[in-house]
Amino acid sequence: MQSQNSDGGWGYRPASQSATEPTAWTLCALHNENLGEPSRKQISLGKDWLLRNQLADGSWPSFALQTEGCWVTALAGLALHEIAGESDAVTRGFDWLCNSWPRTPNFWQRLRQRLSSSGEVTRQNNSLAGWAWTTNTGSWVEPTSYALIFLRRLDPKHLSTLALKRKELAEAMLCDRMCPGGGWNSGNPLVYGVAGEPLVGPTVWALLALRECGELPQVRESLQWLEKSIPQIHGSVSTAIAHMCLEVYGRRIPAMDVHLQERFETDRFLNNISVTALAALDLNPARNLFPPAAQEVAAL
Amino acid sequence: MNSPNTALSPSFARPPARVAIRRAASYEVDLLPILRETLREFDLPLQGKSVLLKVNFVCHDPYGAINTHPAVVVAAREAFLSLGASTVTIADGPGLERDIEAIAESMRLRDFIPSLSTSLVDLNTDDVHPVPLKTRASTLKKLYLPATVLGADLVVSMPKMKTHHWSGVTLSLKNMFGIVPGSCYGWPKNILHWAGIANSILDINSAVRPHFAIVDGITGMEGNGPIQGSPKSCGLLILGNDPVSVDATCARVMGLRPERINYLRRAGLLLGHLHEEKILQIGEKPEQVRTPFAVLDDFRHLSIGLKQN
Repeated sequence: MQSQNSDGGWGYRPASQSATEPTAWTLCALHNENLGEPSRKQISLGKDWLLRNQLADGSWPSFALQTEGCWVTALAGLALHEIAGESDAVTRGFDWLCNSWPRTPNFWQRLRQRLSSSGEVTRQNNSLAGWAWTTNTGSWVEPTSYALIFLRRLDPKHLSTLALKRKELAEAMLCDRMCPGGGWNSGNPLVYGVAGEPLVGPTVWALLALRECGELPQVRESLQWLEKSIPQIHGSVSTAIAHMCLEVYGRRIPAMDVHLQERFETDRFLNNISVTALAALDLNPARNLFPPAAQEVAAL
Repeated sequence: MNSPNTALSPSFARPPARVAIRRAASYEVDLLPILRETLREFDLPLQGKSVLLKVNFVCHDPYGAINTHPAVVVAAREAFLSLGASTVTIADGPGLERDIEAIAESMRLRDFIPSLSTSLVDLNTDDVHPVPLKTRASTLKKLYLPATVLGADLVVSMPKMKTHHWSGVTLSLKNMFGIVPGSCYGWPKNILHWAGIANSILDINSAVRPHFAIVDGITGMEGNGPIQGSPKSCGLLILGNDPVSVDATCARVMGLRPERINYLRRAGLLLGHLHEEKILQIGEKPEQVRTPFAVLDDFRHLSIGLKQN
């Protein structure tokens, strides 16, 4: 909390430019704490920073000096929804997301790829639209997951036909992009016939986005991949989000708590405020943001 | 820093570049004297300057063929400090793995540099400033780039010597993709792919000119690089004051024709020297240490030699 900038936002590091991602995660983390009046004021200032930096089209940029919205729109909308419920700003952010379609290769690009002497470059169904990191680029696992997580927090009764269609497509896109054997990387499960290596981050966010789809084999396989990967998880943010995700799916891994504590004591998460906020979210058993997944998956 | 290669100028208006090829059989060799003595030959104005080592940290690298090896990074850091640099920062913005700490831990970087929080900068989450692009190879026009890079007196590109399944090779120019911040453009920086990889390489290197390059060619990667290829031992470090010339020299060492690598050929027009007659070689000659790298079928036309994947 001491790292809040005078403009009300948080940067990725203390005394750095306020940015949407760390501000959003910090607000989500603080909202879950039982804090006194001064802290509630800080949350209010953070909320104001987000509201001030929403663009006219409803999206959010990563930094205040930018004029075009991007992937952080889902996180800003999510944070505002968590701390203040549905509002005009949340609705406008969500509408922007619903109308923001990823780019797909055009006819000539597809033809060139097919004629490439290496044959099939990637194996994925580009008609399954998720969300992009930036406008006019392709679908990727993490921004799609963030948008789905945001969408799931909204009242289902208020979701438009378009929103429901985007949800369905995004879930299918995530399933299509899973790496062979479980887990996700950024979104290329197969390149030149070689299976992509899953990464902890995209796997966690995709699993959190699909937490109501426990019956899917992709969820089961990826959860198993994540569990098997625990000994190889070393970084702070990977540890925090993997631990949180496994807990959402009913797995308690106390050793990861200890590892996270050690990481904090070693280098204070390299002073990264987003990482600190995600660790705080992870360590708060009362967090509302990621409720437990369906029971049948927890019982795997 | 006013080194001669910071301005955009046609090849005929530029002084010759200098590139050194040094043998280093393995990462167990004491690399500090090799790098320090070679850097001394370049007579860089380092006194009191801030140096940024733009390394290539990609992901978990069990065979040491993907990331710039920490032994090379640490030796470079020590060498620049010993030659008068006031600060040396190690920095990268990995394009796929968001958790740079996880990459550093998997490389055991902490064994070499105890305090990562003061020595390692994640360019993906650095403060940013808008930078108008000086060239129009792509349609990008402007990029938000990290303050740490823009504020450094000397930017040193420190890639791994690798083939690349989209661009043919990835060396000191392609390595500069890592300065584009994920906070603004994502993981991967997909906007650069849509703008064209070759075009983006040119525009980024026109906007932020690496003053110097040190290529880790002790173990490189051939075939389906930059991640899924096979390790390739070369036992070389390649350094120079013109990143285009360094990359051209690396390509020749790898058994590839630099003038057939799209972005490198075009970089030779404005950013540096491509042709051998404009490159003063120090140490080994490329043909003496040539180690042909296997390439994917799409890049067979780049090959000088016979070896194909």
